[in-house]
Amino acid sequence: MEGLYLYCVRKRIDIPFPFSTKGIDEKHEIRTFTYQDLEAVVSEVSLEDFDSEAIQIKAQNDLNWIKEKALIHEKVIEEAMRKDGKILNLIPMKFGMIFKEERSLKKALDESYERFKAILKRLEGKQEWSIKVYLVDIKKFEQGIKEENEKIQEKEKEIASLPEGMAFFMEEELKEVVSQVTDEELNNIVDTLFESLKKHTSNSVKNKTLGKELTGRKERMVLNASYLIPEEKIRDFKKETEYLNQIMQTKGFSLEYSGPWPAYNFTSD
Amino acid sequence: MADLLNTTANKNDNVTLVDALDKVLEKGAVINGDIVISVADVDLVFLGLRLILTSISKAEEVSGKSFSNTDKELTAEDIDYIKKLQKEIRKAEENIPKLIDMDNPKKTEQGLAKLVLTLVELIRRLMEKEAFRRVKRGSLSSAEIQKLGLSLKAVKKKIKEVQTIFGIEDEELNLDLGPLGNLM
Repeated sequence: MEGLYLYCVRKRIDIPFPFSTKGIDEKHEIRTFTYQDLEAVVSEVSLEDFDSEAIQIKAQNDLNWIKEKALIHEKVIEEAMRKDGKILNLIPMKFGMIFKEERSLKKALDESYERFKAILKRLEGKQEWSIKVYLVDIKKFEQGIKEENEKIQEKEKEIASLPEGMAFFMEEELKEVVSQVTDEELNNIVDTLFESLKKHTSNSVKNKTLGKELTGRKERMVLNASYLIPEEKIRDFKKETEYLNQIMQTKGFSLEYSGPWPAYNFTSD
Repeated sequence: MADLLNTTANKNDNVTLVDALDKVLEKGAVINGDIVISVADVDLVFLGLRLILTSISKAEEVSGKSFSNTDKELTAEDIDYIKKLQKEIRKAEENIPKLIDMDNPKKTEQGLAKLVLTLVELIRRLMEKEAFRRVKRGSLSSAEIQKLGLSLKAVKKKIKEVQTIFGIEDEELNLDLGPLGNLM
């Protein structure tokens, strides 16, 4: 028995265009399923495989499996949103939704039809872009803070006059104070950044930052945000980002943007 | 960096992988499917052990007292001990730059050294937290604080020295516990 894995929903395109990516099972082709003026991008999956306990266990434990499948999901949607060098509006689905037959997919589309139409209308002429900020040079950042903080400077003088063993505790305590002050300053900077990037956008989301285990980078991620930007404002947004990146680099940060993304962050009602 | 006037995919592999995980697994529209593959909350799993560790050693309320409350004199024995510790610290301090200059870390024996050092470092951190708690509580004399501080500093320096011998970076002093994430 075969079911249907759902990637995204978009406005119906009457001239079909083929996908080069294979489906989530790495076997079946991607195709579309039309419903009124919408179409769902789907591919067949074996229900025996995908409705099994084995898959659910993998999805809970096997990080590599999760990574692989999530990437396929994303790749299919990336393909679905590009046509003739243009970005199409579509509604990306969350990972892992499967229908046992076309009939149940049709029913689900019917139930969500009004919601999907409303989302597509809201997304029209807009693109999702992501901003990630990393703290690259923590020493530079801390140094900047120490130089401006009199309390820390006083404490450092005090420590210099203590016997070594006692100084050890004071030093460790000072480290804590420094990291506390640093955290506060970090929050301020990140908040200000997030707000100032809103200027050219019509919607924004601050997501939780990702750990080093996930980014595979040594630097700590301090901001993970997504913005919905009208197409005509994207140039300004990019300029703003590059300008802010220059300022941030002098403080030890690096600001990176990427896009356009499927509007994952702007599909809720 | 992605170029935004160019509308074709232009994101480097790393960005795509991170973002794909971030977006695909957590965001996106939801519709009633017959089957839903539910993915583990990656963050939660990773956080698991670290949380246990921090709760074990969570510092008590700071009492607000000054560092020491008594002024017991150092005994001759104390002074000897302190001198010995200071000698150890100096020795390690002098040794580290020499070791770095040698530029010849014993990479072959690194694996075992890393494992042992990681455990020693973990214990050291737990001890240090406990020592802090007592110092802040104000129940120690200044002589005791002096001794405790020097002992901890000596161990710290010694670990640093052994790290240098084996060419182990600070970030490497950790254990990958698979799905539980890292030890420290």
